[in-house]
Amino acid sequence: MTTLLITHPSSLNHLTPPGHPERPDRIRALDKVWAHDDFQGLLREQAPMADLDTVALCHPMSYIESIRDNAPKEGLVGLDNDTVMSPGTFEAALRCIGGATRAIDDVVAKKADNAFCAMRPPGHHAETATPMGFCIFNSAAIAARYAQKKHGIDRVALVDFDVHHGNGSQEIFWRDPTVMYCSTHQMPLYPGTGAASERGEHDTIVNAPLRPGDGGKEFRHAVETVILPRLTAFQPDLLLISAGFDAHERDPLANLNLVEDDFAWVTRKLMEIADKRAGGRIISLLEGGYDLRGLMGSAAAHVGTLMRG
Amino acid sequence: MAETDISTLPFERAIEELESIVKKLEEGKVPLEESVAIYERGELLKKRCEELLAQAEARVEKITLGANGKPGGTEPLDVD
Repeated sequence: MTTLLITHPSSLNHLTPPGHPERPDRIRALDKVWAHDDFQGLLREQAPMADLDTVALCHPMSYIESIRDNAPKEGLVGLDNDTVMSPGTFEAALRCIGGATRAIDDVVAKKADNAFCAMRPPGHHAETATPMGFCIFNSAAIAARYAQKKHGIDRVALVDFDVHHGNGSQEIFWRDPTVMYCSTHQMPLYPGTGAASERGEHDTIVNAPLRPGDGGKEFRHAVETVILPRLTAFQPDLLLISAGFDAHERDPLANLNLVEDDFAWVTRKLMEIADKRAGGRIISLLEGGYDLRGLMGSAAAHVGTLMRG
Repeated sequence: MAETDISTLPFERAIEELESIVKKLEEGKVPLEESVAIYERGELLKKRCEELLAQAEARVEKITLGANGKPGGTEPLDVD
């Protein structure tokens, strides 16, 4: 199995205020993981910048330009209560998207079997024209549309195990029968969406909310009974993962109790789905995960599983 | 909001704040960074309300009726 790791130093240049959980140290912590002997078998690439037309696969050009024009020359500017831009944010966000599309190109070209993009800012809260929840552009949603447009892939599944519901991904694909969006997340919690009754216009939105305090047992049950059967029936040609690691028991922003093994388990299960019809093709993108130790262990379990099955 | 000591809150204030927290969480109006703290305060408020309700319930059970059918007062909880 060849796994591609995509990173870029620009991820360190998206700055947030002191004490903000979504911080450059997340990437520094992950870089320590990738330096370990266990990960020397990774194929590595640096993320290119996405062009604005690629971003426009999911966001109106007026929104993209307003974000670009909002970028401060120095210091920070707030987009909402949680989401800020620093001078390096726009490039970092474009490289998150460029990394995701490069990963798709390489996996489709069989240069790698699967890929993990370890960059920030995250994306799954970003709606068509609204930045929120630390997110500016929805990289995973753009990646799905890019795979369809550039490579003619018909059916894409996006599975999101970040502890927060990916309201942006749900909103973008609400009316799209060609993309299935599946999410496990804590409820009640930010952003308040993600009830099981939210199913999309074509029944291709699959929400499996978990209760605060739930752990691996409840998570695995939700994945096995709610998400995997729907994915199997949908028969995706490509599988994307919004890989947030904030459902880890150590995470300060939520109350779920997953451990490293749970992330390895769900990765294996998703690989089984991808093996059926998608030729094993998985592109996984970092979303949340704010306890550095929990993030390092969980991402290591996730990527280690992608590498070794 | 987080400054008030929950253990001293009367029932009405606790339930009022709890309702406002539930509404905010449902409407997604809480910033991501504060969401879990607000949820956790909601849990404490819920416990406080449950505690006060349990105390009130125990008192009601202890109300004894006099011969004339009127309540004859309450008994201490540890009588039985």
